[in-house]
Amino acid sequence: MTTLRAFTCDDLFKFNNIQAFLNFLSQYGIPFYLQYLAHWPEYFIVAEAPGGELMGYIMGKAEGSVAREEWHGHVTALSVAPEFRRLGLAAKLMEMLEEISERKGGFFVDLFVRVSNQVAVNMYKQLGYSVYRTVIEYYSASNGEPDEDAYDMRKALSRDTERKSIIPIPHPVRPEDIE
Amino acid sequence: MAARGHVQDPNDRRLRPIYDYLDNGNNKMAIQQADKLLKKHKDLHCAKVLKAIGLQRTGKQDEAFSLAQEVATLEPTDDNSLQALTILYREMHRPELVTKLYEAAVKKVPLSEEYHSHLFMAYARVGEYKKMQQAGMALYKTVPKNPYYFWSVMSLVMQAISAQDEKLAQTMFLPLAERMVEKMVKEEKIEAEAEVQLYFMILERLGKYVEALDMVRGPLGEKLTSELQSRENKCMMMYQRLQLWPECNALSYKLLLKNCVEGPVHTTVAEAVKFVVDRMEEEDKKDSRPLRGPYMACLELIHRLRQRGCPDEEELGDPLELMLQFFGKFGDKPCCITDLKIYLHLLPPEQHTQFENRLGELVPLGEVGEDGFGFPGDTKALQRHLCVCQLSRVLGLQHTLDTEGKLCLITELKAHYHYGLQFGKSCLKTELQFSDTYCLMVAHVYIDLWTETGDENMLWQCLGVLEEGLSYSPSNAQFKLLLLLLFCRLGAFQPVVDLYSSLDAKHVQHDTIGYLLTRYAGSLGQFAAASQSYNFSLRFFHSNQKDTSEYIIQAYKYGAFEKIPEFIAFRTRLNQSLHFAQVRTERMLLDLYTEADITSSLEESVKAMGLCPEEDDIPWDNMRDNRDLTVLFSWDPKDRELTEEHRRLSLEEESVWLKVRSLTLRLLASLALLGHAPSKRNSDKTNENGVSAKSSTLQTLLSQLDLTLQTAAQITEKQTQYPFLGPPSSRLASALSSGSCHCQASALQLSLTLQELETTGLDDSSELQTQICNSFKSLIVQLQELLSRCKGDVLEMKDSRLMTQPSLLETLVFFVETVCVVLWVASYSASVLRPLKSSLQKKKKKKTKDSSTAMPVVLSGFQEWTGSLQGIVTQALDHVKGQEASLTALKLAALTLGVGHAQTQEECGFTRAAMDKVQTSYLGSLQELGDLLRKRADSLKSLKF
Repeated sequence: MTTLRAFTCDDLFKFNNIQAFLNFLSQYGIPFYLQYLAHWPEYFIVAEAPGGELMGYIMGKAEGSVAREEWHGHVTALSVAPEFRRLGLAAKLMEMLEEISERKGGFFVDLFVRVSNQVAVNMYKQLGYSVYRTVIEYYSASNGEPDEDAYDMRKALSRDTERKSIIPIPHPVRPEDIE
Repeated sequence: MAARGHVQDPNDRRLRPIYDYLDNGNNKMAIQQADKLLKKHKDLHCAKVLKAIGLQRTGKQDEAFSLAQEVATLEPTDDNSLQALTILYREMHRPELVTKLYEAAVKKVPLSEEYHSHLFMAYARVGEYKKMQQAGMALYKTVPKNPYYFWSVMSLVMQAISAQDEKLAQTMFLPLAERMVEKMVKEEKIEAEAEVQLYFMILERLGKYVEALDMVRGPLGEKLTSELQSRENKCMMMYQRLQLWPECNALSYKLLLKNCVEGPVHTTVAEAVKFVVDRMEEEDKKDSRPLRGPYMACLELIHRLRQRGCPDEEELGDPLELMLQFFGKFGDKPCCITDLKIYLHLLPPEQHTQFENRLGELVPLGEVGEDGFGFPGDTKALQRHLCVCQLSRVLGLQHTLDTEGKLCLITELKAHYHYGLQFGKSCLKTELQFSDTYCLMVAHVYIDLWTETGDENMLWQCLGVLEEGLSYSPSNAQFKLLLLLLFCRLGAFQPVVDLYSSLDAKHVQHDTIGYLLTRYAGSLGQFAAASQSYNFSLRFFHSNQKDTSEYIIQAYKYGAFEKIPEFIAFRTRLNQSLHFAQVRTERMLLDLYTEADITSSLEESVKAMGLCPEEDDIPWDNMRDNRDLTVLFSWDPKDRELTEEHRRLSLEEESVWLKVRSLTLRLLASLALLGHAPSKRNSDKTNENGVSAKSSTLQTLLSQLDLTLQTAAQITEKQTQYPFLGPPSSRLASALSSGSCHCQASALQLSLTLQELETTGLDDSSELQTQICNSFKSLIVQLQELLSRCKGDVLEMKDSRLMTQPSLLETLVFFVETVCVVLWVASYSASVLRPLKSSLQKKKKKKTKDSSTAMPVVLSGFQEWTGSLQGIVTQALDHVKGQEASLTALKLAALTLGVGHAQTQEECGFTRAAMDKVQTSYLGSLQELGDLLRKRADSLKSLKF
């Protein structure tokens, strides 16, 4: 029993069980969340348990040039609280983001993930994503951890009938070379 | 920085180096470059503004401002100057000046879309809704684009939302907004989804639900496509408002079972019951992963039917069996406990033990070993076992155990904890251990034992087990939070600093959990750490204002109209935060206690803070309690949980304490200004008024403080006890019982009497003088009593046990704070008495005959007083020194740990480490308190005549 609804500012006050205490490695500030809420509110969805606890959220956006067939949905953050894992919640949230991207006429959905995060990489593979390219040192060093590479993973949407958007690029790229 | 793209303009080329210097933070070079440029091109206004930006950023605010105004009065219309001024004003926190700038620009260039649009945004930044409405319209008239028109409409909605008078909103702003949209609808000019959203918002706010429903279901509704199920959700909302339950039901059916095109309408309880039973049966038959929904829906329906006293619940089955079934299916999921917890009340108490036993049968455990326990073979079995332990605690079955039983439980849970660690050997540092929750539960049982028996050994072992847990699972936030709480309760703040920073709290969390830190930092005498923790919070609150304005503007640009009131409400919620008001006040008090009359005078300190005694910026009537009081996991049964009443009482207590503190602060500001000699510029008349106005402020604040202390006394009489894992009690009770509040109040009262003496003079004031002398004496008595309450050992070893008395530390802090206040009053006294004394001496010189006249009572009284004050501070310093010495002498290594408590060598090591931390922290607090007292003692010397 899960309620999926639009994320609101008030949810930030209930963030304690999902957000920081998870070692959620990205450092987002309030402006970041507000920017997404102002620009892509439909892409910011939260899952709520019957007792009112926040179970997880997904945050994304639409970007890229239509003319170059690069218009796509992007997963900026996906997070599920530890106690609500293994329920298929992440898959459900991803499905919603894909559906929104379909409606917007996107060619594909993409996301970045740490190459070391095998659990996440496997999950995305199960959901139909494949590694499109490797981005060198995409994640900058923090907490004594060194820089880390990212996989840019993609899944083609129905508009990309020939699935051109997901043909892997064999050579790794630098962060400054991606859009 | 903007506007650098056009290389064609020679001015752009000239300005570019300055922009680059500013961008690189090289402000000095930017200023030099600007000066150079201005020598050649006097009229290059933008260079002046850029120079002003450089000045602003190097701390020369006044110079920057006057330079900027030079340009602003010319009403510039070039892009470069306008944008640079906008940046400058924003950095100066003067967004209202940007509106003036573009008002002028628009007048000069009335056809500029860009300037009109900047003007609208400038108004948006300061929330001038009416002007926004007009600016939006002017913009639309200049360039008839739909978004501009709807900016204007939205500004009307904002006027409605912010209107004090709801009637005005309903009869004027909203109807006007509605008519504006209707006009566009009639002319078939509606283009974007955002416009339809806004129309819906207006109709909803007007309570025109039928119209809203028609609109959403009609052709306009077809534009609602971005959000998933946007139309359906809006319809559902309207059905509910209109209480159209059959429609509601049919739509829910359609949404729930997406494949059905048309849902049947359920109107009776029996149908609802059948519906739920059908869903469960379907779920049972399914091959894929079962969903929790149908099973939970069944329990939810039973719950609701019971509330209504409906007999149909029996059709759904026995809650006990249903919950067992649920556990059978989902017991290996970590959320099983959260799911079942909210329905446990469906079981009668006599079924609790049976329930626990039958749950146990569903947990596959291995052979029972030597220690009498069987262990799970994999993580799924572990999770099931863990869930049963959690349920047993929620049912209160752990709480009913006696001490022996609880100790056995601890042994069992510890065994499971250690056994389970093997499943997480390959876990990353950032991941949690599968068996972490056992460890946390052990800690909870230790806390039960400690609170029930008062045996501090339980607490030390608890700290040990948590420290051990953290060593295996360094990212476990719950371990850190509980450790943090326990150290605070023990009065040891030093370890808390690292724990909190390793939690890596971000943005809103400074508001929601910052209280855990700020409640204790200052009150335990760790002033440096306190200052740092207030700063964490304040930095966040201050950036909030700027951040939100920026995104309100973005929301206009992207047509996210629904988000605009939301962002504003968010900003307000943070601005009205209880925690914000607390850290704001405590920060200033702390600065005064640690610095005023040490590094600079009280008056200078007060002025540097911009403190004004007449001003009260705390939103007493709209205070928002944003604290997350359930951030610590708890599996306590319902009767031990945090209630709404607890929340209310805690907020009440904190607010009254805040009132005491903020009044103290304002009184100190008032005192500081009393000492301020009236400036010569003022005429005699205002002089007199000035002084009496100041003393009347002091008088008013004192009587407010008096009233607040009375309320405070009533509150502390209630002796509210919160659940251990709930909110900490405020400092109110100990502040009152230590006597520090009253002592401070009487000291401040004394300053008022002294002021009277200042006007009366030494002649004909013998009564007043006696009164003052009595106050001197009474203050000494009060301080002496306060100090005597600080005496005792904060940490001692008795019969191989380590005992703490953290309340002594808190009282000592109150003593030190009170000494500060009394000494400021003493310093004010000296400033009043000194001129009186010297004029007396002058008189004496004239009347040499009367040289035998005795010194006025108040002067000799004052000298005696400062002597006694010196004595008390010395006593206090001796006490602190004594405590430091005995703390240092304590050899914790001599304690024998683990005897009779089945603590392993490793666990003992962690306990010992925790003890060391407490000892070191106490020493740290004493050192800081001692240092401050010594500085205060020095300042006393200057008070002698």
